[in-house]
Parts: sequence; C-alpha cells; structure tokens
Amino acid sequence: MKRKTVLTVVSLLALAGALTTGCHERSPVSPPTGSPERKFTIATVVKLDGIAWFNRMREGVERFARETGHDCFQQGPPKADAALQVQIIEDLIAQGVDAICVVPFSVEALEPVLGKARKQGILVVAHEASNLANADLIIEPFDNHAYGAHLMDHLARFMGEQGQFAVFVGSLTSQSHNEWIDGALARQKAEYPKLSLARDRIEEYDDQNTAYQKTLELLKAFPELKGIQGSASTTAAGAGLAVEERGLQNQVSVVGSGLVSQCRQYLESGSVKLISFWDPADAGYVMNRLAVRLLEGRQIGDGEDLGVEGYHALQRDTAKTNLFFGAAWVDVTTNNMAQYNF
Amino acid sequence: MKPPGSWRHETVLAAVVVALMVGIGLVNPAFWTLANFFDLLKASVVTGILALGVLIVLISGGIDISFTAIAAFAMYVTCWISVSLGGEGSVLLGLLLAVGMGTGLGLINACFIGGLRLPTLIVTLGTAGVFHGFLLAFIGTEIINTLPPAYVRFSRWQGFRQTLSGGETIGLSVTVLALVAAAVIVGVLLRRTVLGRSIYALGGNPEAAHRIGIRVARVQFLIYGLVGGLAGLAGLIHAVMMRNANPSDLVGTELNVLAAAVLGGASIFGGRGSVAGTLLGVWLIVVLNNSLILLGVPSYWQRVWVGATIVVSTAISARRRSS
Amino acid sequence: MAAGLESPSIPVPEGASPGTPFAALHGLSKRFGGVQALDDVSLQLRAGEIRCLAGENGCGKSTLIKLLSGVLRPDAGRIEIDGDSHERLRPIQAIRLGIQVIYQDFALFPNLSVAENLTLPGLVEQRRFWVNRRSLRPAAAEALANLGVELPLDTTVGGLPVAGQQLVAIARALRQRARLLVLDEPTTALTHKEVEVLLGVLRRLREAGVAILFVSHKTREVLDLADSVSVLRNGRLVAGGAGSDFTPGSLAEALTGRSVGGLSPSPRADLQESDRAGPRIEVSDFSVPGGCSGIHLQVRAGEIVGLAGLLGAGRTALVQGLFGLNPQARGRVRVDGREVTPDSPEAAIGAGLAYVPEDRLSEGLFLNQSIERNIVVSTLRSLRGRWRMLKPAGVRSAAEAGVRQTGVRTQTVTQPVSTLSGGNQQKVLLARWLATGARVLILNRPTAGVDIGAREEIHARLRAFAADGLAILLISDELPELASLSHRVLVMHRGRVAVELEGNAVEEGNLALELDGLA
Repeated sequence: MKRKTVLTVVSLLALAGALTTGCHERSPVSPPTGSPERKFTIATVVKLDGIAWFNRMREGVERFARETGHDCFQQGPPKADAALQVQIIEDLIAQGVDAICVVPFSVEALEPVLGKARKQGILVVAHEASNLANADLIIEPFDNHAYGAHLMDHLARFMGEQGQFAVFVGSLTSQSHNEWIDGALARQKAEYPKLSLARDRIEEYDDQNTAYQKTLELLKAFPELKGIQGSASTTAAGAGLAVEERGLQNQVSVVGSGLVSQCRQYLESGSVKLISFWDPADAGYVMNRLAVRLLEGRQIGDGEDLGVEGYHALQRDTAKTNLFFGAAWVDVTTNNMAQYNF
Repeated sequence: MKPPGSWRHETVLAAVVVALMVGIGLVNPAFWTLANFFDLLKASVVTGILALGVLIVLISGGIDISFTAIAAFAMYVTCWISVSLGGEGSVLLGLLLAVGMGTGLGLINACFIGGLRLPTLIVTLGTAGVFHGFLLAFIGTEIINTLPPAYVRFSRWQGFRQTLSGGETIGLSVTVLALVAAAVIVGVLLRRTVLGRSIYALGGNPEAAHRIGIRVARVQFLIYGLVGGLAGLAGLIHAVMMRNANPSDLVGTELNVLAAAVLGGASIFGGRGSVAGTLLGVWLIVVLNNSLILLGVPSYWQRVWVGATIVVSTAISARRRSS
Repeated sequence: MAAGLESPSIPVPEGASPGTPFAALHGLSKRFGGVQALDDVSLQLRAGEIRCLAGENGCGKSTLIKLLSGVLRPDAGRIEIDGDSHERLRPIQAIRLGIQVIYQDFALFPNLSVAENLTLPGLVEQRRFWVNRRSLRPAAAEALANLGVELPLDTTVGGLPVAGQQLVAIARALRQRARLLVLDEPTTALTHKEVEVLLGVLRRLREAGVAILFVSHKTREVLDLADSVSVLRNGRLVAGGAGSDFTPGSLAEALTGRSVGGLSPSPRADLQESDRAGPRIEVSDFSVPGGCSGIHLQVRAGEIVGLAGLLGAGRTALVQGLFGLNPQARGRVRVDGREVTPDSPEAAIGAGLAYVPEDRLSEGLFLNQSIERNIVVSTLRSLRGRWRMLKPAGVRSAAEAGVRQTGVRTQTVTQPVSTLSGGNQQKVLLARWLATGARVLILNRPTAGVDIGAREEIHARLRAFAADGLAILLISDELPELASLSHRVLVMHRGRVAVELEGNAVEEGNLALELDGLA
C-alpha cells in the first residue's frame, strides 16, 4: 500500500513535470534576407511562453533576424516560474550563444545564472529589469516616472481637470507600478490642483476579479469619484467592467496600462477611456539590435538611435550607466485600437 | 438557559457575522445599501459553489486541492470550444459542457482515491498539477478575451434592476441563482438522502461505513465527480462574470475556499459540516474582503485585517468545541 | 439505562427455531504474509445457542470474525449459511444473511446521532434513496425499547459513555434482523454492573432464538455464559465442547497452552509490620471539580490499595488530579511526610509519583518509537552527559535494566513498541515509571485488554514492586484482580469514598455486593 502510494505520487509528479517543461524546442527561423559580416547567435528569453504579449515580442525578434541575417530566436518557460527560466539560460550557456536578451521573471533569481553567462563571455541585454546587476546593458521602454505622469495628463483631461480619483497598483511591492504612480501623483500635485486623491493606492494582485470588486467598492465608498488610473494590465479591464455594469461611463473615466485585446469591449463601451502600453515587438527588436551593436564593439551612449519609433534617442540613467530609456509608450483609444492585434 | 457550549456552531458564526456587519455599517452606512448587498451576493457565487464542493469532500474525511485546477480547466476549454464553434453560443450548452468536463476530471481523482485507495491529499495535489499543467502546455495560455455574445448577454442579465438618482444602475446578477441551486442540491443531498448520510458516516468512521455495507468506492466516485461538476460550474460562471477566460484565474484560491468551509464548521478530520455553516463562512470572508475600502483600512493593513478577523471569528466559534 | 429489563420483545426473523444450525464454517484458513492467522478452522453456530470463542490476543479471533462478516476473503475453506455454501461473503451479503458483528470499537459513527446510528444501516441495506428524518426517531426508539434500554436519541454517539455505545451497537445489530450476533471482546471496557446488564441481554437473545458467538479471553465470563466453547490458539482450534465440560483450570490451560498457576490467584503478601511505620503517600481533603471531592487516603510502603467503583465514580479524576494532570485539583498531598503541590506532571514525578494511564496507547506509549526511547523518555534529564547531550551507552543500559526488571519479552530494546503484545507494552510502561525512581505507583486498569498469561505476570511484578517498598494505588474493574492484589480496597461512588474494605473483607463477593448496592 505504502509503496503503491509512493509510486503513484512519483509518476503523477513526473507526468506533471513532463507536461510543464517538455515540448518547447526552438522555433525555426526564417532564412535571412540580409547578410551580416559576422553572424551572431542571439537568444531572447522571456518570462512566459505562449501569451499574447510575448508572442508579439517574438514577431519583433524574428523580424530583426530576417532583416539582419543573424541567428535570433526566442524561448520561454510554459509557466511563470523563475526556476524554469534559470534552466533555459543554463541550457543556452551550454550551447554557447553569443548574447542573451532577457526579460526576467524574477531579477533576484536570475542574478547568479546571468553572472555565470557573462563570465563565459556571453553578452547580456535585459528588459524590464532596471535593478539587475549582472547585465551589460538594460533597456527600458520609458522612464517610469515620465510614463506615469503622461497617464495622469490623459486622466486629468478626461476628468475636465477636476474631481476625485483613485489609483491602483498590482501590489505595494511592485517597483515599476509604484514608480508609475509616484510619477502620476507628482504630476497631479504640480499641474492639476483641482484633482484630489480619494485614498491611498489600492492593490489588486494582478487579478481582474479583484480589480472589479475593488472598483465596485470604490464607487460605493466615494460616490463623487470621477477617475481611476490603473497600473497592472488587469486593472483597466476589471475597473472597466465595474463602471460599465453600473452604467457610469459618462461619470467615471478609467485610464491605465493594458492590452487592446483585453480592453477592446470596454474601450468600445466607453467605460475605459484610454490604455497605454509599449509594443513588445519593438522591445524585442531593439534588444537584439543593442546586442549586435555591443557584440560588434560599439559604445552605446546618450542619444543613441536604434531606428525604431520611440527609441530614436535613448536616455542614459543618471546613476546607473548601463541603464537606458526610450520614450516608447503607445496610447490607444477607440480611434486607433484597430491597429493592434494583441 | 442553555450553556454556551451547546450552541450550534452555525448560530455562533451567524452572530459573529451579524456583529461584523453591524460594525461595518456603523463605520460606513454605505454598507447597508441594496447595491452593496447585490455586489456581495455576486461576489459570493464562485467561492460559494466551490466551497459547497469542498464541504462534501471534507465531510467524507477527504481533502481536495485540485478543484480550482478543475474549474480553470473546464472554464477555459469550454470557452475555447464555444468560441471555436462561432455564432451566438449557448450558455446552457456551455454550462452542461463545463459541468460535464469538471465531473470527468473529478472522476479521474476518484479513480485514484476510490479505486486505488490512495490518500486524497496526495492524489489531488498531484492531479492539480497535472490538470493545470496540461491546460497550459497543450491547450493554451492566452486569455480568451472575446466570449460568445450569448455569454456576454448572460453576464449582463440582472434581476431587481433599478437606476439610482445619479444615473447609476444596480441589479442582482442572475448567476446568484446558480449558487442557490447548488446550495439546495447539496443541502438536500447531505441531509435528506441516504447517500448524504453515508458521506457523513464515511467521514465519521470509514471502517464502520464499509462494515454496514456502504460501498465506499462508489460513494467516493460520486463525491469527487460531484465536486468536479461543481468546480466546472463555478469555473464557467467565473468566466461569464469576467467576460474572459484566463487559464491562470482561480488556481491559487483553493486555500481561501477551504478556509471558508472550515470557518463554516466543516472539520478537516471529516464527519462534520453543513451547507448553512459553509455559506456563512463564505459570506464572512466575502464581506471582509469587500469592506476594506468602505472601512477605510489602509492598503498596507488590509491583509493583516482580513487574517486577524478570520482568526478571531474561528476562535469565537470554535471555543465551544474545547469547552 | 437498564429500565424495563423484564419484558423484552426482541424481533427475530422467521425460521429461527432453536437448535437448528444457522452457520457452519468448514476448514477456513487465512494467511497474512508469513503468518498463518487461521489454520483449518471448522465450527457450527446454532440458533438459540451461545458459543464462546475463547483465545488470547493474536490467536486468530479477529480474523475469524472478519471472514464471517465478509470483510476478509478466506484462502481456503467455505462458509455455510442456512445450508447454502459460500466461498466468500461480501459485507452487504453477510448482513442480508443476518450476520451482525459487534466489534470492540463498535463500528459506530461518533459524529451521528443515536437515532441515525440505529437506522442508517437499514436504509443502506435496503438501497433507499431518501431519508425520512421524521420516521427515524420512532424506529430508533423502538429498537432501544426492544433491548430494554433508554438512551437519548439526539445525542451524538461520540458523547455517550462506552457502555451506552455498546448498547447502541447491539440495538443496531438487532434491528438488522440479526440471526447470528458476534461480539468481539464485549466486556473489556465495561464495569461489573454493565457486564451483568450485557450478559442478561445476551441470555434473552438466546431465548429468542438468536445464535450468538461470544469472543472473550476472560475465563469467568466464558464459563458463566457459554452453552458451548471453542478455544483458539495460534490460529487453530485446540479444544471444544459444552460449557459444562470445562473448569476454570482446564480452560485457562487450553487458552495458554501451559498450566497457569491455578486460576485462583496466589494469596496476597502480608504486610510487614516494619513497613507500617508511616504512609508513603497521604492525601487529605482532595477535590477535583466535577470529579471527586473530600478524598482522604493513605498508602503505606509495600501496600497495594485498590480503587473500585462504577464508571464515572471519580476514580480517574482522582488519580489524574494527584498526578498533576488537572490544574483545578485542590487538597493536601504528602509523600513520605513532605508536602507536595502536584500542579503539573513534572512536579508529581519530582515528588516520586508515577502514573500508568488507562489507555496506554493514546495516553502512554509512543507506539512507533523503540522500547528504549519509551522507557527513558521520563528520565532524559538524568541521562545527560557533558554539554547536556544524551549518552547513548547510558540510555541503552537504563533501557535494558528496565526491560529486565519488568520482564518485557523482546529480543532488542531498539524494536518499536508496536511490535509487542498488549501485555508487554504494559510492562514497557511500567519500566518507564520505575526508571523515574518512583515511590508511589498509580495504575489505571493495568490489565485491560491484556491476555491471561501476561496478566498473571503483571500481577506477579506488581506484588514484587510492592514488596520492594513501593506504594501502589490500583484502579481496576476486574473484581478478581482487585481481590487478589489489594490489601485494602476503597469503593468510590459519586466522587467520594463510599466504603473501605480491609483485610479478609477484601474478597470478590463483598466487592460485587458493594458495587451492586451503589448502582
């Protein structure tokens, strides 16, 4: 009985393991149209394979490969799990790639393995990881404070520059979300004195249902509420659903980060006024371009032009010399949402 | 006068809930509005249906942690099929499909538990990983954002609909009926049928249950099939409410659901628990989680507040057991 | 509880005329791994006959019962019921045929009410779908009335005393139109009075034509009750015949396979005058709220004092209070003249008290741990060496000394206690307490569930300990045990000492008389 139990458990776990780690070979790369002097092998490692966001990033990576002739490909774990991402990078080190472009699931978990990669002479370019130590270069789509401030500009416009508003973050420990809100609140204080913050930032744990419930509660607790600024991609959809259900499209404006696919119906109904994001295809493309430039021995400095909209003049961070920002946010309203399929 | 020790758990818990609601209402009168009660009822639906399933398993002396994976699986696959079929879609068909699929997955659990007599915790821990892993690896990780039009219409369907003076409309989601139906079915099953009493008997003394002729394996197939079916129902309703199907939703909430059932008086050692208690437990947790902004609890303190209240409520209603 | 004993009306199925064979077992054998639990056993069970199946622990009694009730499948042999032969029975089939087993654990549902415990099996058997809750109570009340007992119908069974639970189990069996009632060690947890009630119920069932298989290792009950006797040893039937064919001596010999030093126990050792100097333990005005009150007692060195009483008389509350297990206990306790405040077990042990609890499995022993660890667990402090680490050699020798002293039968001290028989487990517990250097030993039903051979041995050890100067306070429901071991017996009733018997008055008949007088 006991042995049977152990056997079954082991086989169940093995099956579960096989299901979650297997079957993710490199995707084939289309034949190059360009022909570089030296051909580099560059791997892009993302947080999670198969979701819309990183499918879109893959388009950028593959377009870069097509245009330049370098061997570029994208990999990611089937589950959002730092350990699986570490494992993929270990494999890439063993294969001896020239460069790794990485979007870390957890910066802390990836530091050791990325350090190891760099010791073996592999170049590391990172994205969405401004506090990463083991990287040759980190490229962020925008400065977090500037991004949050620009969302506040939109929110204030929709609210007619007056009234009560509330802000959401995924969690109080999420660095980028809180920096966006810091930027937004600084902008509001400086430019929009007639706006007032209803209460401290609300957590929604990156869960649409929570965002929905919290919004319903906000609407009851603050009947005068006129605006909501979200951070996580789930907030706009959740808040939009609540506002639409209450029929308050004309009284309450929701803006925030989000994807067109998630928010299309709420943009259409007017419960979400505007969403903003950066194009992962462009991010994938510029990570690979930066990797090639560094591999070719070029120095990257302030004002570097990567030839992509939003990345024409990179801005170097004042403290951390290998951290660069673009100005690559994309704002979407009903007017231009048809252009985006993710 | 009856000594406090002999009061039923449900009575004590109900008193705790009422006290909590009165307290919240004193801090913020907006709590006692029709809109708020409609919202709270709707928020109870998915957790409530899941908790009713867990209740059955707990009474039988088992434990299940795969039901959220089953719910996510049934939800996602049902939505994926309905979207692939195109057209208007049918909610009834979707519900049947999700319940059927959940039942099927529950029966897989039953094969290990009733057939091979393996410990329920280990089996459901394993199958939770397998079901969810299979879903993500072979079926899809992308959120399905556009559900069939019939689903969206269903999600907008409300009773007692009215427009408030400010132009705001409120109403009671029709999905609440699913919770009512599930509660009635589980309640009648547990209290009025031989099968239900056999489930209590099984949880009270499994060896004795076998000896009086209860076909334990058969009862376990029914239990885990039913739990799977309820999970499938809850999953699809969740998708309808959210108007999308996210394969990572629900998974991870199993401990909250278990907590609601245990708070409602179900014993993790089996043999004890009731529908009324479970619904009270769910209601308490939903009220707690959805009154933080009304109470003005700072975000930093919200988890502390929820955790502390659950511990205190459990302590109050569990005191009689030790005395 | 025992109201209306005079006019029972026990429902008995048609066709159960006394004397006709109901069941016959032919050559049943069952093996578990390397152990032949049952070897070619044949016997007949007749309507209106009480057959006692006697045997010590591990003789194969439980296996035989499980084959009869269909829980296990025999390796060889067959069971004939009403002339129909069965290779194996399924549980539900056995029930339909009228075979009902009252297990030692009663197989009741502690979480369900008395009424439901009585009625659920019938509903399951009839494959009913709905439960009509209103019809449950009358049916349950009728079942209890048929047995001539009264119990609260809505109480959960887990809240009833052991004797009440047993009556529920029997009433439930009878409701199932039992034609064969099997009782597995039914008297183990019952007091004298309750045993008498039970035996009365069984005799009346016999009159009504039920076949009864009464499983016991207590020679007295067996001879008292049985029409016929079968003795099982090491899986084989070693003796059988009419009840009148056996004497206490011959039955005990058949049970153990060796001649036991007479069934009437050796007379108790007389107290040495020198030991009468002063009391080892002196308790005055001792009370435990809800348990006992105003208790005065003393036990001298070398003396064994018995505590008799009905269930709930306050004996366990008293000794638990003395041992510091109840912080609400109040009163004066002096050990060897020194004042003691037993507010915790640690304090009690420090004062020289030792307590061997009633349920050695749940309160006393760590079953999966080794004999060694079980023995030294109360004396770890004294076995520490440098840096307060345990000295393995010291631990080992302490454990081995304990095993020698109490006569635990084992190869090594490293094997788990669960591998020992009940009697040897009890000795391990004794060894633990002796290791603490206890001067007062308190025992709560030390031989419950222990077979006759081991019991004799434990009795001998207790006498030896007393002779060595220990004071022993002994709770027991076994009147012969109390009578043969005790120098004095205190009979407790409703939390107080009702009667004290001393010297020649300590005798079974007197004890039975006193206890019956209290009921």
